[in-house]
Amino acid sequence: MGVKMPDLPKKKVGIVACSGEEMAEGTVTRLAALRVLEQLRPNETVTICLPLFLAGGEGDRAFARFYPTIAIDGCDKHCAARGTEMYSGKPAASIVVTDVIQTKHLGTARRLSEAGMQAVDVVAEQVAQRVDELLGVNWDRKQGQPSKEAQPAEGLEAKIATCSCGSGIPIQKVQVDGQEVTFIALPLIFEQFREAGKLPGDGTAAELMQAVKVYNPIPDGQATAYTEAVMREYAVFCQEKN
Amino acid sequence: MSKVVIVPCSGIGKSYGTVAREGAYVVTEDLRPDTTQRVPLSLLVLGDEQAHADVVGAPSITIDGCKLACATKMVTESGGTVAHDPSAPLRASLAVLDVYRRHRDLKPAGIAELNEGGQKLAQALAEEVVTLVDALSTADSLPLSQNDGGGAGDGGQNA
Repeated sequence: MGVKMPDLPKKKVGIVACSGEEMAEGTVTRLAALRVLEQLRPNETVTICLPLFLAGGEGDRAFARFYPTIAIDGCDKHCAARGTEMYSGKPAASIVVTDVIQTKHLGTARRLSEAGMQAVDVVAEQVAQRVDELLGVNWDRKQGQPSKEAQPAEGLEAKIATCSCGSGIPIQKVQVDGQEVTFIALPLIFEQFREAGKLPGDGTAAELMQAVKVYNPIPDGQATAYTEAVMREYAVFCQEKN
Repeated sequence: MSKVVIVPCSGIGKSYGTVAREGAYVVTEDLRPDTTQRVPLSLLVLGDEQAHADVVGAPSITIDGCKLACATKMVTESGGTVAHDPSAPLRASLAVLDVYRRHRDLKPAGIAELNEGGQKLAQALAEEVVTLVDALSTADSLPLSQNDGGGAGDGGQNA
Protein backbone atom coordinates (compact mmCIF):
# COMPACT_ATOMS: atom_id res chain seq x y z
CA MET A 1 0.00 0.00 0.00
CA GLY A 2 1.35 3.35 -0.94
CA VAL A 3 1.99 5.98 1.65
CA LYS A 4 -0.69 8.59 1.58
CA MET A 5 0.95 11.95 1.93
CA PRO A 6 -0.75 14.19 4.44
CA ASP A 7 -1.63 17.79 4.10
CA LEU A 8 1.59 19.46 5.11
CA PRO A 9 1.47 21.86 7.99
CA LYS A 10 2.05 25.42 7.03
CA LYS A 11 5.31 25.53 5.24
CA LYS A 12 7.77 28.10 6.44
CA VAL A 13 10.94 29.64 5.19
CA GLY A 14 14.11 29.49 7.24
CA ILE A 15 16.09 32.68 7.58
CA VAL A 16 19.84 32.35 8.09
CA ALA A 17 21.67 35.59 8.85
CA CYS A 18 25.43 35.79 9.06
CA SER A 19 25.24 38.18 12.03
CA GLY A 20 28.90 39.03 11.50
CA GLU A 21 30.17 40.92 14.51
CA GLU A 22 32.97 42.71 12.74
CA MET A 23 31.10 44.86 10.28
CA ALA A 24 27.98 46.98 10.21
CA GLU A 25 26.67 44.91 7.32
CA GLY A 26 26.66 41.88 9.62
CA THR A 27 24.47 43.72 12.06
CA VAL A 28 22.23 44.74 9.19
CA THR A 29 21.71 41.07 8.34
CA ARG A 30 20.89 40.28 11.94
CA LEU A 31 18.38 43.08 12.37
CA ALA A 32 16.84 42.52 8.95
CA ALA A 33 16.32 38.86 9.75
CA LEU A 34 14.72 39.74 13.05
CA ARG A 35 12.51 42.33 11.35
CA VAL A 36 11.20 39.66 9.01
CA LEU A 37 10.84 37.06 11.73
CA GLU A 38 9.18 39.29 14.27
CA GLN A 39 7.28 41.85 12.24
CA LEU A 40 7.04 41.36 8.50
CA ARG A 41 6.42 37.62 8.13
CA PRO A 42 6.22 36.13 11.63
CA ASN A 43 3.90 33.33 10.57
CA GLU A 44 5.80 32.40 7.47
CA THR A 45 9.36 32.28 8.73
CA VAL A 46 11.53 30.71 11.37
CA THR A 47 15.02 31.61 12.36
CA ILE A 48 17.83 29.21 11.73
CA CYS A 49 20.49 30.15 14.24
CA LEU A 50 23.76 30.16 12.29
CA PRO A 51 26.00 29.26 15.24
CA LEU A 52 23.74 26.37 16.15
CA PHE A 53 23.41 25.40 12.53
CA LEU A 54 27.17 25.29 12.10
CA ALA A 55 27.73 23.57 15.42
CA GLY A 56 25.45 20.76 14.47
CA GLY A 57 21.92 21.74 15.41
CA GLU A 58 20.09 18.76 13.99
CA GLY A 59 16.72 20.41 14.04
CA ASP A 60 17.98 23.41 12.11
CA ARG A 61 19.86 21.33 9.61
CA ALA A 62 16.92 19.00 9.08
CA PHE A 63 14.59 21.93 8.60
CA ALA A 64 16.87 23.44 6.01
CA ARG A 65 16.97 20.16 4.15
CA PHE A 66 13.23 20.07 3.78
CA TYR A 67 12.19 23.66 3.54
CA PRO A 68 13.49 26.63 1.59
CA THR A 69 15.98 28.90 3.25
CA ILE A 70 17.08 32.44 2.63
CA ALA A 71 20.66 33.30 3.48
CA ILE A 72 21.41 36.91 4.36
CA ASP A 73 25.08 37.78 4.24
CA GLY A 74 26.85 40.96 5.10
CA CYS A 75 29.72 40.58 2.67
CA ASP A 76 31.01 38.55 -0.22
CA LYS A 77 32.41 35.90 2.08
CA HIS A 78 28.86 34.51 2.12
CA CYS A 79 29.22 32.76 5.46
CA ALA A 80 25.49 32.17 5.87
CA ALA A 81 25.00 30.88 2.34
CA ARG A 82 28.13 28.74 2.44
CA GLY A 83 27.31 27.36 5.85
CA THR A 84 23.79 26.47 4.78
CA GLU A 85 24.99 24.76 1.64
CA MET A 86 27.78 22.97 3.43
CA TYR A 87 25.63 21.47 6.15
CA SER A 88 22.24 21.24 4.59
CA GLY A 89 21.44 22.37 1.09
CA LYS A 90 21.79 25.27 -1.25
CA PRO A 91 19.72 28.21 -0.03
CA ALA A 92 16.65 28.91 -2.11
CA ALA A 93 17.64 32.57 -2.11
CA SER A 94 20.71 34.50 -1.13
CA ILE A 95 20.90 38.19 -0.32
CA VAL A 96 24.14 40.06 0.25
CA VAL A 97 23.90 43.42 1.96
CA THR A 98 26.77 44.93 0.00
CA ASP A 99 24.96 44.06 -3.23
CA VAL A 100 21.79 45.75 -2.08
CA ILE A 101 23.08 48.77 -0.19
CA GLN A 102 25.60 51.08 -1.79
CA THR A 103 26.32 53.46 1.07
CA LYS A 104 29.36 52.84 3.25
CA HIS A 105 27.99 54.87 6.14
CA LEU A 106 25.97 52.26 7.93
CA GLY A 107 27.44 53.04 11.33
CA THR A 108 29.36 50.44 13.31
CA ALA A 109 28.70 46.79 13.91
CA ARG A 110 27.67 47.70 17.42
CA ARG A 111 25.48 50.67 16.63
CA LEU A 112 23.99 51.27 13.22
CA SER A 113 23.54 54.80 11.96
CA GLU A 114 20.26 56.07 10.59
CA ALA A 115 21.41 54.96 7.16
CA GLY A 116 22.20 51.58 8.65
CA MET A 117 18.70 51.27 10.04
CA GLN A 118 17.29 52.24 6.66
CA ALA A 119 19.42 49.50 5.16
CA VAL A 120 17.80 47.10 7.59
CA ASP A 121 14.40 48.14 6.25
CA VAL A 122 15.47 47.69 2.65
CA VAL A 123 17.07 44.30 3.20
CA ALA A 124 14.15 43.11 5.33
CA GLU A 125 11.69 44.06 2.59
CA GLN A 126 13.73 42.13 0.06
CA VAL A 127 13.79 39.11 2.30
CA ALA A 128 10.04 39.32 2.88
CA GLN A 129 9.50 39.51 -0.85
CA ARG A 130 11.60 36.39 -1.35
CA VAL A 131 9.62 34.64 1.36
CA ASP A 132 6.41 35.40 -0.51
CA GLU A 133 7.90 34.18 -3.74
CA LEU A 134 9.07 30.95 -2.17
CA LEU A 135 5.73 30.30 -0.53
CA GLY A 136 3.79 31.43 -3.55
CA VAL A 137 1.90 33.96 -1.52
CA ASN A 138 0.58 37.23 -2.87
CA TRP A 139 1.00 39.62 0.01
CA ASP A 140 -1.63 42.25 0.55
CA ARG A 141 0.53 45.10 1.76
CA LYS A 142 -2.48 47.26 2.59
CA GLN A 143 -3.94 44.64 4.89
CA GLY A 144 -0.58 43.39 6.08
CA GLN A 145 -1.57 39.80 5.39
CA PRO A 146 -1.73 37.33 2.52
CA SER A 147 -4.31 38.39 0.00
CA LYS A 148 -7.55 36.42 -0.10
CA GLU A 149 -6.83 35.39 -3.64
CA ALA A 150 -3.47 34.03 -2.63
CA GLN A 151 -3.02 30.44 -3.59
CA PRO A 152 -0.21 28.19 -2.48
CA ALA A 153 2.47 27.62 -5.03
CA GLU A 154 1.03 24.45 -6.49
CA GLY A 155 4.24 23.37 -8.10
CA LEU A 156 6.36 23.70 -5.02
CA GLU A 157 3.73 22.34 -2.69
CA ALA A 158 3.01 19.40 -4.92
CA LYS A 159 6.65 18.61 -5.38
CA ILE A 160 7.15 18.35 -1.66
CA ALA A 161 3.85 16.71 -0.78
CA THR A 162 3.73 14.10 -3.51
CA CYS A 163 5.65 11.00 -2.63
CA SER A 164 5.49 9.65 -6.15
CA CYS A 165 7.98 12.20 -7.38
CA GLY A 166 10.54 10.83 -5.02
CA SER A 167 11.05 14.05 -3.17
CA GLY A 168 8.22 13.81 -0.67
CA ILE A 169 8.83 14.22 3.01
CA PRO A 170 8.26 10.88 4.74
CA ILE A 171 5.53 10.77 7.31
CA GLN A 172 4.42 8.40 10.01
CA LYS A 173 1.06 7.94 11.64
CA VAL A 174 1.15 7.52 15.38
CA GLN A 175 -1.54 6.86 17.94
CA VAL A 176 -1.55 9.65 20.49
CA ASP A 177 -4.07 9.22 23.27
CA GLY A 178 -6.24 7.08 21.02
CA GLN A 179 -6.08 9.55 18.14
CA GLU A 180 -4.18 8.94 14.96
CA VAL A 181 -1.75 11.76 14.39
CA THR A 182 0.36 12.20 11.28
CA PHE A 183 3.93 13.25 11.96
CA ILE A 184 5.98 14.88 9.27
CA ALA A 185 9.55 13.69 8.76
CA LEU A 186 9.41 11.33 11.72
CA PRO A 187 11.14 8.37 9.99
CA LEU A 188 14.02 10.61 8.98
CA ILE A 189 14.34 12.05 12.42
CA PHE A 190 14.34 8.57 13.92
CA GLU A 191 16.99 7.48 11.45
CA GLN A 192 19.19 10.49 12.16
CA PHE A 193 19.00 9.94 15.90
CA ARG A 194 19.62 6.22 15.64
CA GLU A 195 22.59 6.77 13.39
CA ALA A 196 23.92 9.29 15.86
CA GLY A 197 23.74 6.64 18.57
CA LYS A 198 21.01 8.49 20.41
CA LEU A 199 18.92 5.54 21.44
CA PRO A 200 15.64 5.61 23.36
CA GLY A 201 16.06 6.82 26.87
CA ASP A 202 15.39 9.74 29.11
CA GLY A 203 18.23 11.77 27.69
CA THR A 204 17.01 11.45 24.15
CA ALA A 205 13.37 12.39 24.51
CA ALA A 206 13.79 16.13 24.92
CA GLU A 207 16.21 16.46 22.03
CA LEU A 208 14.21 14.23 19.75
CA MET A 209 11.02 16.13 20.48
CA GLN A 210 12.77 19.37 19.62
CA ALA A 211 13.46 17.98 16.18
CA VAL A 212 9.91 16.65 15.91
CA LYS A 213 8.50 20.06 16.78
CA VAL A 214 10.32 21.63 13.87
CA TYR A 215 7.79 20.02 11.56
CA ASN A 216 4.91 19.14 13.77
CA PRO A 217 2.79 21.45 15.87
CA ILE A 218 2.11 20.03 19.30
CA PRO A 219 -1.17 21.20 20.81
CA ASP A 220 -1.07 22.93 24.15
CA GLY A 221 -1.30 20.53 27.03
CA GLN A 222 -0.45 17.47 24.93
CA ALA A 223 3.33 17.59 25.06
CA THR A 224 3.55 14.65 27.44
CA ALA A 225 1.20 12.47 25.41
CA TYR A 226 3.03 13.34 22.20
CA THR A 227 6.39 12.64 23.76
CA GLU A 228 5.27 9.28 25.10
CA ALA A 229 3.82 8.30 21.74
CA VAL A 230 6.83 9.39 19.74
CA MET A 231 9.28 7.72 22.08
CA ARG A 232 7.23 4.52 21.99
CA GLU A 233 7.44 4.57 18.21
CA TYR A 234 11.12 5.36 18.35
CA ALA A 235 11.76 2.35 20.54
CA VAL A 236 9.90 0.17 18.03
CA PHE A 237 11.85 1.76 15.18
CA CYS A 238 15.19 1.03 16.83
CA GLN A 239 14.13 -2.51 17.69
CA GLU A 240 13.18 -3.21 14.10
CA LYS A 241 16.47 -1.84 12.84
CA ASN A 242 18.53 -4.02 15.13
CA MET B 1 51.72 38.94 23.70
CA SER B 2 48.82 38.23 21.39
CA LYS B 3 45.54 39.86 22.08
CA VAL B 4 43.04 37.67 23.85
CA VAL B 5 40.45 36.46 21.39
CA ILE B 6 36.82 36.98 22.33
CA VAL B 7 34.32 34.82 20.49
CA PRO B 8 30.64 35.40 21.26
CA CYS B 9 27.98 33.06 19.93
CA SER B 10 25.80 35.89 18.60
CA GLY B 11 22.85 33.51 18.45
CA ILE B 12 19.79 35.08 16.96
CA GLY B 13 17.07 33.01 18.56
CA LYS B 14 17.25 34.19 22.14
CA SER B 15 18.06 37.30 24.13
CA TYR B 16 21.04 35.56 25.64
CA GLY B 17 22.74 35.48 22.26
CA THR B 18 22.39 39.22 22.00
CA VAL B 19 23.76 39.59 25.52
CA ALA B 20 26.78 37.53 24.48
CA ARG B 21 27.31 39.71 21.44
CA GLU B 22 26.85 42.96 23.34
CA GLY B 23 29.12 41.77 26.14
CA ALA B 24 31.83 41.08 23.59
CA TYR B 25 31.51 44.61 22.26
CA VAL B 26 31.75 46.06 25.75
CA VAL B 27 34.97 44.14 26.38
CA THR B 28 36.67 44.74 23.05
CA GLU B 29 35.59 48.34 22.49
CA ASP B 30 35.08 49.84 25.95
CA LEU B 31 36.92 47.96 28.64
CA ARG B 32 39.94 46.27 27.06
CA PRO B 33 40.33 47.49 23.47
CA ASP B 34 44.13 47.15 23.59
CA THR B 35 44.33 43.61 24.83
CA THR B 36 41.38 41.91 23.18
CA GLN B 37 39.97 41.27 19.74
CA ARG B 38 36.76 39.74 18.49
CA VAL B 39 36.70 36.87 16.05
CA PRO B 40 33.42 36.15 14.25
CA LEU B 41 32.32 32.62 14.82
CA SER B 42 30.98 32.05 11.32
CA LEU B 43 34.25 33.08 9.71
CA LEU B 44 36.14 30.77 11.99
CA VAL B 45 33.94 27.78 11.32
CA LEU B 46 33.93 28.31 7.59
CA GLY B 47 37.68 28.21 7.42
CA ASP B 48 38.77 31.83 7.20
CA GLU B 49 42.55 31.71 7.49
CA GLN B 50 42.93 34.89 9.50
CA ALA B 51 40.21 33.93 11.95
CA HIS B 52 41.79 30.53 12.37
CA ALA B 53 45.25 32.02 12.88
CA ASP B 54 43.89 34.42 15.47
CA VAL B 55 42.29 31.65 17.46
CA VAL B 56 45.15 29.15 17.43
CA GLY B 57 47.70 31.84 18.12
CA ALA B 58 46.17 33.37 21.20
CA PRO B 59 44.17 32.49 24.28
CA SER B 60 40.47 32.48 23.70
CA ILE B 61 37.45 33.37 25.73
CA THR B 62 34.18 32.14 24.34
CA ILE B 63 30.83 33.54 25.36
CA ASP B 64 27.92 31.18 24.91
CA GLY B 65 24.33 32.29 24.89
CA CYS B 66 22.80 28.95 25.77
CA LYS B 67 23.65 25.51 27.03
CA LEU B 68 24.39 24.25 23.53
CA ALA B 69 27.66 26.16 23.82
CA CYS B 70 28.12 26.66 20.09
CA ALA B 71 30.94 29.16 20.45
CA THR B 72 32.98 26.98 22.76
CA LYS B 73 32.30 23.90 20.71
CA MET B 74 33.36 25.50 17.47
CA VAL B 75 36.43 27.30 18.76
CA THR B 76 37.58 24.04 20.24
CA GLU B 77 36.96 22.20 16.99
CA SER B 78 38.79 24.91 15.11
CA GLY B 79 41.94 24.37 17.08
CA GLY B 80 41.50 26.99 19.73
CA THR B 81 42.21 26.45 23.36
CA VAL B 82 39.20 26.96 25.52
CA ALA B 83 38.99 25.63 29.02
CA HIS B 84 35.81 24.26 30.49
CA ASP B 85 37.42 23.62 33.82
CA PRO B 86 36.85 26.45 36.27
CA SER B 87 40.12 25.55 37.91
CA ALA B 88 41.89 26.53 34.71
CA PRO B 89 40.81 30.12 34.42
CA LEU B 90 43.57 31.21 32.08
CA ARG B 91 41.58 30.03 29.16
CA ALA B 92 37.91 30.17 29.59
CA SER B 93 34.41 29.93 28.37
CA LEU B 94 31.60 31.90 29.89
CA ALA B 95 27.91 31.19 29.62
CA VAL B 96 25.47 34.05 29.70
CA LEU B 97 23.06 31.86 31.61
CA ASP B 98 25.60 31.39 34.38
CA VAL B 99 26.14 35.12 34.62
CA TYR B 100 22.40 35.60 34.71
CA ARG B 101 22.16 33.16 37.59
CA ARG B 102 24.50 35.44 39.49
CA HIS B 103 22.42 38.47 38.56
CA ARG B 104 18.83 37.33 38.73
CA ASP B 105 17.61 40.91 38.82
CA LEU B 106 18.95 41.52 35.30
CA LYS B 107 16.48 39.62 33.17
CA PRO B 108 17.21 40.17 29.50
CA ALA B 109 14.46 40.64 26.95
CA GLY B 110 14.55 41.52 23.28
CA ILE B 111 16.85 40.23 20.59
CA ALA B 112 17.11 43.06 18.11
CA GLU B 113 17.30 45.48 20.98
CA LEU B 114 18.03 44.49 24.53
CA ASN B 115 16.01 45.87 27.39
CA GLU B 116 17.71 47.63 30.27
CA GLY B 117 18.16 44.38 32.17
CA GLY B 118 19.83 42.85 29.15
CA GLN B 119 22.16 45.79 28.74
CA LYS B 120 23.16 45.61 32.38
CA LEU B 121 23.61 41.87 32.15
CA ALA B 122 25.91 42.40 29.16
CA GLN B 123 27.92 44.82 31.27
CA ALA B 124 28.11 42.34 34.13
CA LEU B 125 29.16 39.65 31.69
CA ALA B 126 31.80 41.93 30.23
CA GLU B 127 33.23 42.59 33.67
CA GLU B 128 33.58 38.88 34.27
CA VAL B 129 35.24 38.49 30.91
CA VAL B 130 37.64 41.32 31.73
CA THR B 131 38.75 39.54 34.87
CA LEU B 132 39.72 36.60 32.71
CA VAL B 133 41.31 38.81 30.07
CA ASP B 134 43.52 40.46 32.64
CA ALA B 135 44.64 37.13 33.98
CA LEU B 136 45.37 35.90 30.48
CA SER B 137 47.13 39.08 29.45
CA THR B 138 49.55 39.00 32.34
CA ALA B 139 50.34 35.32 32.17
CA ASP B 140 53.86 34.81 30.89
CA SER B 141 53.77 31.08 30.51
CA LEU B 142 50.37 30.78 28.96
CA PRO B 143 50.27 28.14 26.27
CA LEU B 144 49.26 29.93 23.13
CA SER B 145 47.91 27.13 21.05
CA GLN B 146 46.49 23.70 21.25
CA ASN B 147 49.84 22.36 20.15
CA ASP B 148 51.30 23.75 23.31
CA GLY B 149 49.36 21.28 25.33
CA GLY B 150 46.01 22.88 25.88
CA GLY B 151 43.93 20.25 24.19
CA ALA B 152 40.31 20.74 23.35
CA GLY B 153 38.05 20.08 26.25
CA ASP B 154 40.85 19.03 28.53
CA GLY B 155 40.52 21.99 30.76
CA GLY B 156 43.53 23.74 29.30
CA GLN B 157 46.53 24.56 31.40
CA ASN B 158 47.20 27.05 34.07
CA ALA B 159 50.10 29.32 33.62
